[in-house]
Amino acid sequence: MYASQFDGNAAFSGGGFMPSQTTQAPDHSFSPAKNRDVQALLPLTVKQINDAFLSSDDKSNFVIDGVDVNNVKLVGMVRNRAGRITDVTFALDDGTGRIDCSKWVNEAADSNEVEGILDGMYVRVHGHLKSFQGKRTLNVFSISACSLQLMCMISIPLRRWDFDMKYLAYRPVTDYNEITNHFIESIYVHFYNTRLRKQQSSSMTTQPQMTNLSNTPVKGYQAPIANQYTGQAGGDSWKSLEQMVLDFLQLPSCDSERGAHRDVIAQQLKVPLEKLIPAMKNLEEEGLIYSTTDDYHFKSTANG
Amino acid sequence: MDTSNPSVFVNAELLRLYVGRRVRAVIQVLSEGNGVILGKSTDDNQITVKGSPPFPLSKFVEVIGIADTDKSIRADVWTNFGDSFDTSTFNQLCQFANGEFKHLFI
Repeated sequence: MYASQFDGNAAFSGGGFMPSQTTQAPDHSFSPAKNRDVQALLPLTVKQINDAFLSSDDKSNFVIDGVDVNNVKLVGMVRNRAGRITDVTFALDDGTGRIDCSKWVNEAADSNEVEGILDGMYVRVHGHLKSFQGKRTLNVFSISACSLQLMCMISIPLRRWDFDMKYLAYRPVTDYNEITNHFIESIYVHFYNTRLRKQQSSSMTTQPQMTNLSNTPVKGYQAPIANQYTGQAGGDSWKSLEQMVLDFLQLPSCDSERGAHRDVIAQQLKVPLEKLIPAMKNLEEEGLIYSTTDDYHFKSTANG
Repeated sequence: MDTSNPSVFVNAELLRLYVGRRVRAVIQVLSEGNGVILGKSTDDNQITVKGSPPFPLSKFVEVIGIADTDKSIRADVWTNFGDSFDTSTFNQLCQFANGEFKHLFI
């Protein structure tokens, strides 16, 4: 089958080069930024899914806040649960709306997972968003009651010369703060995708030289962006001294032949020289900055 | 898929805005009797909840129902939230869900 198709094409186009067919597919799948977004598990409200823009092709691609959505996390109450041999269906009501969900039951593990899920229970679901004939449904991968597995490690010395015996105890503890947490997370991700990401992309365009580089300096520059997204400890206020130096040296004012004197950097960043010197040494070793006319003037490698 | 009948996150202050509509609130139970539960809202005011819970209530309870006056809810869904719950974070969420990020909720 494949061979006969190939022969036909070769015969008509007179060679092996068929741009109309071959070039499009790889382009589509080889956009790293898009791939990462597609893989992300997005915390959402049902209202957001209802308002989501459905891109016109029939592959049911949802777009929320400018991001392609496939896999989502929802937290809400189970309604109208109906269990069959091969699947379980229910409506998830998160207070903003209801969405129909289904979970295939293939193995014993699956049936154990859904057995304890009853009407009126608060659950967290991870699933794949689908649209069929205008109806939006969720294909559930995993479902669990809003509870948190508390693991405590108890260490009991048995005998003085013996090693400690460690017991692992798992205890499910219901924690309804997860509901609050989910909605706050949904707000944060919405805020990130609508505001922070735009701000960052606009600040990137004011420094066009950054976008053209594909070596280490760009990675270094982008590190705090990733940090903001995960919302880990510190958040926006976190910025290492190295990053501050790098940001400073990438300002247009430092883009001269000599670069900037380290005393000037210390003065501008309001950090003592003895702290600045090791940070700059690190950056120099990483190849992100280099000394110019003497040992005191530095430039960012990103500025050339 | 149905978003026609949402239940809005409220504290006592926000409850006033939704009389006649469906709301959800977390209360700390203060007293119980005669089909009326007196509770402390997450913004430290008092809310009356009408209805008969189908099970004994824990210290913190989420109620979903219709706001029948500016200080009371006629509840039809009750969920025990246990004996510890972060009310101040929930209260912040109520404010977000009725303020800047209202469009994500109702």
